[in-house]
Amino acid sequence: MRRNETAIEEGATTLLEATGHADRPVRVAPDRRFADVAHAHLDQLYGYCVQLSGDRTDAEDLLQDTLVRAMRAYHELRDPAAVRAWLFTIATNCVRDRWRARGRELDTVPLEATDPDAEFSLFATIAIEDPFPYSDELHLDFLRLFADEDLQAVFAAMTPAFRAPILLTTVHGFSCKEAAAILGSPLGTILSRLHRGRKQLERGLWEYAVRRRLVTVSDE
Amino acid sequence: MIDCREAVRRMWPFLDSSLEPRPVEELERHLEVCKRCCGELEFSRELRGLLAAAGAPAISDQLRDRIEQLLAAGPGAGPGR
Repeated sequence: MRRNETAIEEGATTLLEATGHADRPVRVAPDRRFADVAHAHLDQLYGYCVQLSGDRTDAEDLLQDTLVRAMRAYHELRDPAAVRAWLFTIATNCVRDRWRARGRELDTVPLEATDPDAEFSLFATIAIEDPFPYSDELHLDFLRLFADEDLQAVFAAMTPAFRAPILLTTVHGFSCKEAAAILGSPLGTILSRLHRGRKQLERGLWEYAVRRRLVTVSDE
Repeated sequence: MIDCREAVRRMWPFLDSSLEPRPVEELERHLEVCKRCCGELEFSRELRGLLAAAGAPAISDQLRDRIEQLLAAGPGAGPGR
């Protein structure tokens, strides 16, 4: 068992090295067993499914759907170095398909004349509201309020089209260009959604903290 | 010179290393003279660090068992075959 785990870890390291540095020679054997490849990415894939779908039960099905699709198509994978992005693309498509079957859309952006979050600044709001009057690290203390489950709740409340690029870039470390390819959208669209998503996330963090009374504000 | 609004818009792509050299230079010139945006950039860095470090729920033992069975069964496993 331990020998198997070590082999998986070595495989994961090799994959990360290969995907992280496109200018280096690819050191991934193209005929690696799919199970080894899958093991190296299982936890991240499951995390992405939970974060993107916002539902742990759905995420369990989504992870299995992703693995079934990937296992069947693995022999068609042209670039083994891109396996991580390839798996995330399949997971994204599984979420998209599942939601579509339920009448929900992953890629729909609200049609609003103006972005309600455009002018919101969490940095400025914390400074103005000053929820920790005796703190020397006001902004850091605000961030320290959030446990993992709080962040998951804030993510889950976001518009999915804005949530997805933030998850892929900020949480899972893909470049904006890679995120655009995974989501099947032009880079400009992803950059715009990242900005709007960031603003929505900032407002979500603040409103979550106020609603849960993690901070006390003047007009409450 | 770009204004604060544009500087803020560029911060996350800057931290992602997704900005082209010229917009980076413009942002850096703005940061040289804008203390507030320097604070906003530092806060952005901390916030992104918090998000990146956020742990996702762990895979349950039951799900891990199902996955192991799935992987052991090979490409013919699952629905649709």
